[in-house]
Amino acid sequence: MFLKRTRFWVVLILIVSLLALGSSCRSDEDEDELTNDNTTDAPQGKPYVSKGNEGTIKGLASLTGDAPAPKPIDMNADPACASKNPNAVAEDVVVKDGKIEYVFVYVKEGQLADGQKVGGLSFPSPATPVVLDQDGCHYKPHVLGIQTNQKFQVKNSDPTAHNVNVQPKGNTAWNQSQPPNAPVIEKSFTRAETLIPIKCNQHPWMKAWVGVLKHPFFAVTKEDGSFEITGVPPGKYTVVAWHEKYGEKTAEVTVGDKATATADFAFASTATASAGGGSLEILPALDIPMLAHH
Amino acid sequence: MSLWLHRFTLLVTGATFVLIMAGALVTSNGAGLAAPDWPLSYGQVFPRMVGNLFYEHGHRMIATSVGMLTIILNIWLWKSEPRLWVRRLGLAALGTVIAQGLLGGLTVLLQLPLAVSTAHACLAQLFFCLMVSLSVLTSPGWSAPRPLLEDEGHPPLRYLCGAASVAVFLQLVIGATLRHSAAWDEHLPTSLLLAHLGGAFLVTLVLCGTVGTILSRHRGQPYLMRPAMLVGGLLLVQLGLGLAAYLVRLDSPGYPQPLNPMVSVTVAHVACGALVLATTILITLRALRILKGRRQFEVSNFKSEIQDKLIAEG
Repeated sequence: MFLKRTRFWVVLILIVSLLALGSSCRSDEDEDELTNDNTTDAPQGKPYVSKGNEGTIKGLASLTGDAPAPKPIDMNADPACASKNPNAVAEDVVVKDGKIEYVFVYVKEGQLADGQKVGGLSFPSPATPVVLDQDGCHYKPHVLGIQTNQKFQVKNSDPTAHNVNVQPKGNTAWNQSQPPNAPVIEKSFTRAETLIPIKCNQHPWMKAWVGVLKHPFFAVTKEDGSFEITGVPPGKYTVVAWHEKYGEKTAEVTVGDKATATADFAFASTATASAGGGSLEILPALDIPMLAHH
Repeated sequence: MSLWLHRFTLLVTGATFVLIMAGALVTSNGAGLAAPDWPLSYGQVFPRMVGNLFYEHGHRMIATSVGMLTIILNIWLWKSEPRLWVRRLGLAALGTVIAQGLLGGLTVLLQLPLAVSTAHACLAQLFFCLMVSLSVLTSPGWSAPRPLLEDEGHPPLRYLCGAASVAVFLQLVIGATLRHSAAWDEHLPTSLLLAHLGGAFLVTLVLCGTVGTILSRHRGQPYLMRPAMLVGGLLLVQLGLGLAAYLVRLDSPGYPQPLNPMVSVTVAHVACGALVLATTILITLRALRILKGRRQFEVSNFKSEIQDKLIAEG
């Protein structure tokens, strides 16, 4: 009787383990489903040939309403962090004079003046790598953009160890430790994906976001909330501005021959990022009127 | 029956409870992937335990200790425990703790897939149940002669206790799934929250039914009354902690790092859940020990009468 019970538990544990393994190992088909839309992961198309008449999209990202006070970070859990960066604050919302920094602005879709869709064209990946530095137990920069297959380098300028935990939905996830003075970690992203969170689980306040696109038409807003996307072929585009806390805003933009189009984005300080769109699957909290946050 | 064996079993059970709290600290602090490698951390046995590595590597060290203690317990059981089924229960505990260690490694190497992390959390509770059972079974009180009672009334108390144990364990499974489905900086999924809330209602119903039955049928039995009162108190504390955990967890995504009281309240909720399960198992075992169905009760009475007669006849 007892042997039968023991066998039952052993079989149960094995089944649970196998099921867990099965569910954790995503198939390629699943990955395709995650990014298989016409905006971010279109198949490699005809190479784009510059005609020399490219224009620019520029604008400002601003916040309406009261900006939240900067949130201080307690780094005492790691003395190396606390001594290097004693007055650290969170970078999820950085607002100065009503303008927001770290908004990722990119061309989501659109059509060139000659009728070609931007998603159907291919653009060469730049040879220069995009570098993410861990400095003062902060990621620098906090938000960055990169093209598919462009080199992505992570370095550690801190006197303490970090783990670089990249958790995309459509690309390969990886988590790698990087002690002080360790060589630069070099990776790349093969699929377009907006936006991928990067975390250090050693120092839970460390978080960065990387937007991966197959074209070079993206930018991150600066301290004054401004951005500029250059080299945009004439055409009509849907431009998206993404902020990790305030969600997405879109604008329709027409770029003329060697012209500059403007797209300004105003985020409301009461808004929060919602489910859907790239890696930003944040489910709402229990929606009970007495307890819900508004 | 060795009193020291019982004391050692209690020690391993206590260490398991500490291990459950250490695991809860890992989850609440988002430290599960602080060391990307396993079984070593950053390739070292004793890495610099700063930041969240303190929780993750600390959890691994406590787990290793519990594993070692379980091995020693099994050697002890096989040397001095006369009941074969108790020795086999010890072996089951050893198998569970080994499987638990492997699941822990798997969850790190596979980067916290929900199914593996949840299975890891649930197996921890199962191992704790086994250790609590071993503590009860090796106690002097278990072997002491006790008058058997008929499990009168409907439903029988033994069945109610069994149902309560299953209900509490299933509620822990839902709770573990809920905790592992969202990191501290993400909102908890509504569907699972509602399931956990419904589970709390059911557990309250079944446990109150069990405690109420003990109060009405076995008020004069401290062997059952004491753990019944204890589980009633723990249930109240657990419900309060559950509400507090929900409220503090609601704000957590808005902070740059996991903060107190979120960490302490959620860990206390996990720990108290384990205690509710342990006490329910204790009541169930004790009920099975002294309560018998009518037929079993009559057979046992008949045996006692014959024994008494034989003794009287010399």
